[in-house]
Order: sequence, then C-alpha cells, then structure tokens
Amino acid sequence: METKVKSKALQQFQEAAETLVNPELKKWMEQGGKVMALFCSCGPEEIITAAGMVPFRARGTGSTGTELADAYMASIICSFTRHSLNMGLRGDYDFIEGAVWLNTCDHCRRIYDNWKRKVDTPFVHIMSLPKKTEKPQVAWYRDELVILKEAVEKHLGITITDDKLREAIKTHNETRRLLKQLYELRKRDNPPITGADALAVVVASTAMPRERFNEMLKELLQDLKEVEGIKDYRARLMITGGILDDPNYIKVIEDQGGLVVTDMLCFGTRIFWNDVDEKIGDPLQALAQYYIADRYSCPRMFQDYPRRAALVRDMIRDFKVDAIIGERLLFCDIWTVEHYQLGKEFRPEGIPYMQLDREYILGGIGQMKTRVQAFLETLGR
Amino acid sequence: MTTETEKDKQMRRLAKFIEERDSYEAMAKAFGQSPSGTDKLYAPLTEAYVEQHNAVIRAVENGDPFVASYYGCQPEIYVAMDLPWYTFLTPVFTNAMSPTLPEEIDATESLFGKDFCTAFRVAGYWVEKDLAPLPTAIIAMLHPCDASLAAHQLMQTNEIWRHVPMFGCDPPYWNDERSLDYYANETRLMISFLEEHTGRKLDMDRLREVIEESNKMFKLWIEYNELRRAVPCPHGYGVGLQAFGVAMNILVGDPKGTQWFTDLVEDAEMLVREGTGKVENERVRIFWFDVVSLGLSLDLFPWLEQEYGAVVVMDMFGYTPYTLIDTTSEETMLKGLGKRALCDAPMMRQARGVADNWIGDIRQVVTDYKIDCVVWPGHMGHKDGSANIGMMREVCRELGVPFMNIGMDNFDERYTTTAEIKEMFSRFFDSMGLAKAG
Ligand code: SF4
Ligand code: SF4
Ligand code: SF4
Repeated sequence: METKVKSKALQQFQEAAETLVNPELKKWMEQGGKVMALFCSCGPEEIITAAGMVPFRARGTGSTGTELADAYMASIICSFTRHSLNMGLRGDYDFIEGAVWLNTCDHCRRIYDNWKRKVDTPFVHIMSLPKKTEKPQVAWYRDELVILKEAVEKHLGITITDDKLREAIKTHNETRRLLKQLYELRKRDNPPITGADALAVVVASTAMPRERFNEMLKELLQDLKEVEGIKDYRARLMITGGILDDPNYIKVIEDQGGLVVTDMLCFGTRIFWNDVDEKIGDPLQALAQYYIADRYSCPRMFQDYPRRAALVRDMIRDFKVDAIIGERLLFCDIWTVEHYQLGKEFRPEGIPYMQLDREYILGGIGQMKTRVQAFLETLGR
Repeated sequence: MTTETEKDKQMRRLAKFIEERDSYEAMAKAFGQSPSGTDKLYAPLTEAYVEQHNAVIRAVENGDPFVASYYGCQPEIYVAMDLPWYTFLTPVFTNAMSPTLPEEIDATESLFGKDFCTAFRVAGYWVEKDLAPLPTAIIAMLHPCDASLAAHQLMQTNEIWRHVPMFGCDPPYWNDERSLDYYANETRLMISFLEEHTGRKLDMDRLREVIEESNKMFKLWIEYNELRRAVPCPHGYGVGLQAFGVAMNILVGDPKGTQWFTDLVEDAEMLVREGTGKVENERVRIFWFDVVSLGLSLDLFPWLEQEYGAVVVMDMFGYTPYTLIDTTSEETMLKGLGKRALCDAPMMRQARGVADNWIGDIRQVVTDYKIDCVVWPGHMGHKDGSANIGMMREVCRELGVPFMNIGMDNFDERYTTTAEIKEMFSRFFDSMGLAKAG
C-alpha cells in the first residue's frame, strides 16, 4: 500500500522520520541554531521555540542496541527508554544543547537521572508533571513552566518575553492546524495518504524548525489535493498507544491490507487535536491550560479515561474505523491497563480491538504479520 | 429464583476477606499461646490485623461507611474520622501464603500484560471479578508507581466500581515547601471529598490526638532503629516490616501501637545489652532495599541466617527516617502528614521522586548500619528502581560494599524461584570470599 503522489515534501518527511538528525535540522544547526530535546509530549515545546531553539521530540531512531544502557537499567525497563539512553551514552545526542524530561512514567523519568550523571549535555532539566487535570494542577504546571523558562533564560543568557511566547504559540498552533488538515483528508473513503506516511509527517513535525515544517506541510497538502486515493484496503484501522515513531511498523500492518486512517498516539492526534488558546492573555497560563487540561491526555493522567475514550469514539465515527490496534511497548504499565479498558469498552460496540506488544526497534515482523492477518480475518475482510 | 440483594452482594464480596481474617485469627491464637522472646510481638500484631478486618466486616454488616486506600494516603485522617479502611492491595499481601494465589496470578493474564506489577494485577483482577468489598469511597494512590495509578483508572470502566466515588491527591515530584503546600491543598480536597461521601466530619482536635499518638510510635521506631545499628543486630528480617505495619497500617494513631513499639524497643534493648544477635555468629549484614517479601520469609531469609550468618539488618520498609509532625495548627498538621506520605513512607520516599533519594538512602544506611552488602531484589513492578541499578552499583562501589540485583517478583515465587535466588546468593557470597558457616 502506497501514497500515490510524487511529493518532495513527503520524501523529506519520510527521511526525517528515518533519521535522528534530518537535513532541515542539520541546516539549522549549521547556521548556529540550537536544539533542545523533550522526552515526553507533555513538555512545553513553545518555551523552547520562544527561546530561539528547535524543540526536538527525543527518539531512539537508528539505535541498534542497548549495550551501554544495560549497565544502568535492568531489562524490565521499556525499550524506548533503554535505546534512547543508550544513544545518549554513545554520544548520538551530542547535537543537542539541552534536554527536558518530565516525571512521565517510571521508565522515562529515570533517563533523566542517568543522563544527568553520565551524558555531557550542557542543559538538563526535569519538570514535575501533575497526574490530574484540574485547576490546581494547571496552576502547579504554570509554576513549573516559569521554573523551566527561567532556567533556560539563565542558561542562554536571554529573556523570553511574553511576545515571543505568543509568537511561538501561534507557530505551534499553525503546525497543529495543518496536521489536523492532513488528518481531515484521511476521513475520505479513499484517503490520499497511508498511515505510515502520515506518521512520518507527524514525526517530522517534532524534529525540525517549525516554520520550515509548516511551509513543507502546506506543500504536501497541495500535492495531495489531486491525488488518487487509496482503494485497495481490506479494513480501516485506528492505532492507539504511546511512543510509536516508526512508520515501518505501520507499513507492516498496511501491507496486510489494513489501512491506518487515524490514531491516538504521542506522535499523532494527541499532540495536535486541540490548540493552545490564543485568547488567554497570559501565555504561560495558556500553555499550562493546554498541556494539563485541554490536550488529550495519555493514561498517565488520572481519571481522564472517559475523555480519552470519547476521543476514540469520535474517531471511530468520523474516520469510519473498522477496528483498533493497540500498540504497547513491553513493560509499559500505563498502556497495558488502558488497552484492556479500551478493548473492553469498544468490543461490545462492534469494534474489534487487538493489543500488540512490541519492542521499540521493529523486529519479529513475521509474527506481527501473522497476528495482523488473523485480526483482519476476524473482521471478515 | 432469588435475586441477590445489595447486602447479599456485599456479604459475598467479603468471603475472601473473612478467610483472611480467619487465618490471622488462627495465627493470633498460636502466637498468644507460646509467647516467648521476640515472637511475643507477633500476637498483638496479628490481633490488630483481625480487628482491622473485623471493623470493615462490621461496617459492611451495618451498612456503615468504610474506605479502601493505602498507607501512603494519610490514613491518620481516616482514623480521625472513625472510618474503617482496608488496603486495596490486600490480596497479594495477605494471600501471600494462599495456595490459590498462583492460580489467580495466572488468571490475570487475560486482562493485563504479565509485566505489570503482580500486586495490582491481582487487585485489578479482584475488581473485575467482583471479589473485593465495595467501599463507600476510594482514596487512590497516585504515587509512587505507574502500576498504582493505572490500576485505579481501571475502576472507571468497571460496571460496579465506577460508581464508587474516588479521589487521589496529586503527588508533586519534589520535596520542597512549595510541594508540601500544594499537597496540603490536595489533602484539604480529600477531606472535603471524604466528608461529602461518608457523612463523617473531621474533627481537627481528634486528628491532633491521632497524630500525637503516631508521633510517639515514630519516636520509638527511631529509637528502635538506633538499636539495630548494634553488632550483632538484635533482630532479623521481617521486624521492620512489622513496625511499618503497626505504625502505618493497622494501628495508626492507636495507643496499642505505641505499646507494641515500647515492647519492641524493650526487647531489642535487652538483646543489645546481652550482646545477643539474631544469629549466633553474625557474618554478613545485609541491606535489603525493598519490601521483605512474605514468600521469602519462610525459606530464603532463615536459610541466609543459618547457612551464612547473613542477617537483614535493614530493609526499605524498616528504614523510614520519619519527621515528627508539628501539631500546632491545621496547617502544620496537613503539611506534616503530606511530608510523611510523600517523603518519609517507604517506597514513596524512594520511588516517587528523583533518583537522588535512592542513592541518599543507600549511602546513609550502609554507613549507619555497618552494612556489608546491598541487595536490590528488583521486584518486577519496580521499574523506576530497576532503572537505577547502575547508580546503585556505583554508590556501593564508592562505599566499598558489594551490590546484587536479583530480579524477582515479590508476590510470585515462580518468577525467580527461591532455589535460584539461593544459588545467586551462594555465588555472590563466594565472590565476597565468604564461605558457608560451620
Ligand atoms: S505516553 Fe504519555 S507519558 Fe508517555 S511519552 Fe506519551 S504523553 Fe508522555
Ligand atoms: S512506552 Fe510506556 S513505559 Fe515506555 S516511555 Fe512510553 S509511557 Fe513510559
Ligand atoms: S510497583 Fe511496587 S509500589 Fe507499585 S504497586 Fe507494585 S509493589 Fe507497590
């Protein structure tokens, strides 16, 4: 299954998803630009943009092993965590000026502790991310944003003004709106883009200067206008889960005939389905409100399951989803429960739900193919 | 055909709970009959477990309010509100010896990944299978681990449990004043929630009494831990866990708990005076950096003592450098309770925040308790700890003590069997140049 368009922008996005440092980011750095990595999608990209840097969502792309990280972490730690720490230890992340973590999950938050001690990155910071989504949590997170902002200002010797923050919010909101436009096209009976390519676009959106990305995505949207949609699919699928950043994973599913039309992923709708409210006067308040309360959460957020399930339900309707695949990295605690719950909720509504456990680096393709094929067969397709 | 009334259902859900109560009752009787040496401390402990169970059973029978919660969620408040409470995680702990536990663990595979903490896997299974007493309200524990948070989300899709009101205080990642103020505010919300859903009011003077009584216990606990520094160590594995059970679970703010600690200190004092250790020839002093698993208490720990003269001098649940709570005002009490729940209580203290907390504790315990080796059991649920093994090993190297990471399941012997763990210890002690005793 393929996106039937010759698009330079799409090629660049595909390349960006396959490499850690893509050509656009390289260009930025060659011009003296700095990059700051974020280890969870709850991290405030806008503050980094407002500081004149490129926010880069950390990945383990290109990693081939965890031999160095294994000296620091046991094998019951999720493989994203071990691969990305390994890359830090190997020096693959030497291109960043700094990195920001949040106490996201028991695995990822410990990358910070190890990195701080073992990797020579000029700026490292961890934020305390609330586990609830109510007013006191928004207020707490706003304070955390102030602490981060001040730390970045001190490190770079700059001032991040409210105007710069507002500008950054506008830029990131534009990225979100453009990504949403791309997803709108996938609602069609014959979507013009595969799920694998759509994932590549979203990954690229977290890895290059956003203004440049926005221009490129506009080009792609233009290119996709006339394209013939994909018809040869057996079922329309949705993918739910956490840090899935490898388009090849989706490709394996699509090669079996299941077209992925939407998702609820960290490199997916969760990071762009809502905007930051530009009408809120205080930009830090607007960001806190967005990241804690408005954005669709992941199972890391307590008592917010109903809202997540409602998003899945809306997607099933709007994208005409036949079935859901819940991807999970082995050992990930928060997603095993969420997938169980989502399955329990949607199966009785006639939406089959399959949980697929995986390792961060794509492997075991044969077994995965068999499971996807069997799943599609249960749909009668 | 008769339909099951709500009351019948609640009585049915008590079945396992009553079984547990009965097994404690049998233990209490046995301990009561042969009170000698340190063992005499077991009788009041098991009696208290029986009474805690009975309080919940009575509440169910009388239709009175009761709460499901945890030691890390400020149980002093439930006690002050006269609310019976049980630990939601109770199945794996109290059922640790139950022959049906392995079956239940296997049955959870149809629900969650096998890599999800067994404690909450089984608790979640009990929820899904309607096997646990349905409380009036749940105070969820959102720290220290992902498993705890995730398991509580589960209740939102369970047909029965979703109707039970639930609240969780949001845990900050830091230990500073700002964090304690924030948490005190969360605690205020929790109190309002409990008042609303249980109909009980919190009287601050009663809370003061409870805290003052618990302060007495913690003071004695600190004294007791001083005595454990002695060489040879007067007591072995398990006593720290009992102290934790008394102070934070079954006799919270209860004068009976204070009496238990008084007896504990007396017993330890006497042994230290006599120079009597847990084993005759103490050769290795172990810091067991996790909960002392009940499963291992039957075989592994006695074996370590007998074969190697290796004594668990300190463990995570026995080591809790508590700060006494200032009871001058509502503000100081709530902040103090928050600090206890976040920064002092075992597991919360280490696992909730940055890794410095782990490293700091190892450094302190190894120095204060003349530790010869540090063991990280590596319970399969403790991901955040197992992501620190490099740091733990390094601090141990720096302190000149060997470090061992086992990799086991605190609740399922099949994950790494006791025989395998013994083998690991033998090799470990060999590398320390330690031959078997005798
Ligand atoms: S799943 Fe949640 S905690 Fe994990 S990276 Fe995504 S947003 Fe962050
Ligand atoms: S996959 Fe799960 S365990 Fe791994 S970093 Fe993401 S949320 Fe954490
Ligand atoms: S991971 Fe540890 S702290 Fe969390 S539920 Fe399991 S045993 Fe308790």
